[in-house]
Amino acid sequence: MSTTNFLLPAGFEALEPFVKFWAVAGATARAQRRNDCSEQERAAFYDTAKELLAPALAYLDRKPLNKFDEKEKRLMNMLLSLAHVVQAVEVLAQDEEKHAEARRHMKITRATADLNS
Amino acid sequence: MTMQPTTYQLPSNEDVAGLGTTPIPAGPYYRDDYFELEREAIFRRTWIQIGHVCELPEPGSFIVRPIEVANASILITRGKDEKVRAFHNVCTHRGTHLVAEESGNRASFTCRYHSWTFGYDGALRSAPDFERFYVDKSDCGLRPVAVDVCAGLIFVNLDKSPAQGLGEFLGPIAEQLETLSISRATTFAEYVYEIDANWKLTFDNFQEHYHLRFIHPRTGAGARGPDNPFAYPVKFDFYGPHRTESVWSNPAADRLPIQQFALGRLAQIAAADVSRNSSHAKDVFFLFPSLFIQGTPVLPFVHSVMPISATRSRGVVRLYWIGEDDNATESFAREYSMAMARDVHAEDRVVIEAGQRGLNSGALEFIHFQSQEVLCRHLFHAVDTMVQAHRAGRGAAGVVA
Ligand code: FES
Ligand SMILES: [Fe+2]
Repeated sequence: MSTTNFLLPAGFEALEPFVKFWAVAGATARAQRRNDCSEQERAAFYDTAKELLAPALAYLDRKPLNKFDEKEKRLMNMLLSLAHVVQAVEVLAQDEEKHAEARRHMKITRATADLNS
Repeated sequence: MTMQPTTYQLPSNEDVAGLGTTPIPAGPYYRDDYFELEREAIFRRTWIQIGHVCELPEPGSFIVRPIEVANASILITRGKDEKVRAFHNVCTHRGTHLVAEESGNRASFTCRYHSWTFGYDGALRSAPDFERFYVDKSDCGLRPVAVDVCAGLIFVNLDKSPAQGLGEFLGPIAEQLETLSISRATTFAEYVYEIDANWKLTFDNFQEHYHLRFIHPRTGAGARGPDNPFAYPVKFDFYGPHRTESVWSNPAADRLPIQQFALGRLAQIAAADVSRNSSHAKDVFFLFPSLFIQGTPVLPFVHSVMPISATRSRGVVRLYWIGEDDNATESFAREYSMAMARDVHAEDRVVIEAGQRGLNSGALEFIHFQSQEVLCRHLFHAVDTMVQAHRAGRGAAGVVA
């Protein structure tokens, strides 16, 4: 596979398998991904993304948000999904399934990240 | 800046006993007749927060907000003269809701029904075939609503001539609110919820920490410490119908890795800008009737509980930030902050509804507040004082036997 087939900027290859599910635009969609994933899926994403979060943000911080190319946008959207799923993995743990039902009523109507592009 | 004592000291029962110790009647938390009295005694005549000036960034900006409890829709405009004005969103021809959008920017507002057109100042500018009417244009302006701003927050009062201005209503709290970063916010994140619960029962949940360890065993874990297992606040203050608490922050909070990272970044961003640091950053403001304001720069949010009926309400939570997301790190940290707050409020919502279902049965004549639920007691007193005064006034006027 040549580098042109990669969906994310170089250096973040370990996150490639997670792009399809987690790199989604819009806070409502990202929060929904947290609901739709299995415990194994979120654990795998969290474990891989945890070490790459700081370097990925440092990489993206070099550019203004509205100047991201497609690869950078995907990386950003994945990290924003991570912001939701962190709560499931680090905080709610085995209570996550029950909590998802409670969360359903809390409708996100605006997120600052969605105003960037 | 005052240092917080590392050992938690519970506010003493005596400090708050002046507000009474008796049980509180349960009826006001579910009965339709009491709600009808609140509608007239409170919601049609008190200052209600309805938006933020950052939603009206330039001349021509407008927002439209419902106030269901008063069957009202309010149009708020910023004029070419920069002035913020509020009107009933009601065409003066035959009453049609004038503006259907929730927000936007316009030079004028045209009613869809017969095309009457109003300016940002509410004046009727033009109306087709107006010479066939029997009224002057100058008598056809939009009906104004009292409006004022404190700490960037827009308040309206549906009373045609409010007994108090906003400044007088807020008293010394106004100055404290102005110090919060919220007053300089330029953007916000928002989530909303509908809830089958009375507005006071809903709001009370956010006025006590007693439930925290039971309802937020995980999401609230960082707020509790060995010497303060209930995460009770360190201080309460009372200002007329309003109240504040100073929250205790656990010096030994055990933060989780990415949570620590996100909150740490927000703290860094705030620390880099002195204007975001307020001496009231650890205070929570509970403005009458139902507005919660928390000033901490890491999680600066305003939570409004709007009554819809005796047993239904709507919550609007907004995290107010200064500046658009500056970079990826700020975007990530703000998204996390929203997700974190939303998780806590989701847990609250479920248990509040359970409380309402129980009260609706009429099984209880009274509910009970302990000394650490004194803010709930204070709200009830403020509400009931106004309701009883209104009831007495109506009786004296002979409207009600
Ligand atoms: S009702 Fe608005 S123009 Fe007729
Ligand atoms: Fe709570």
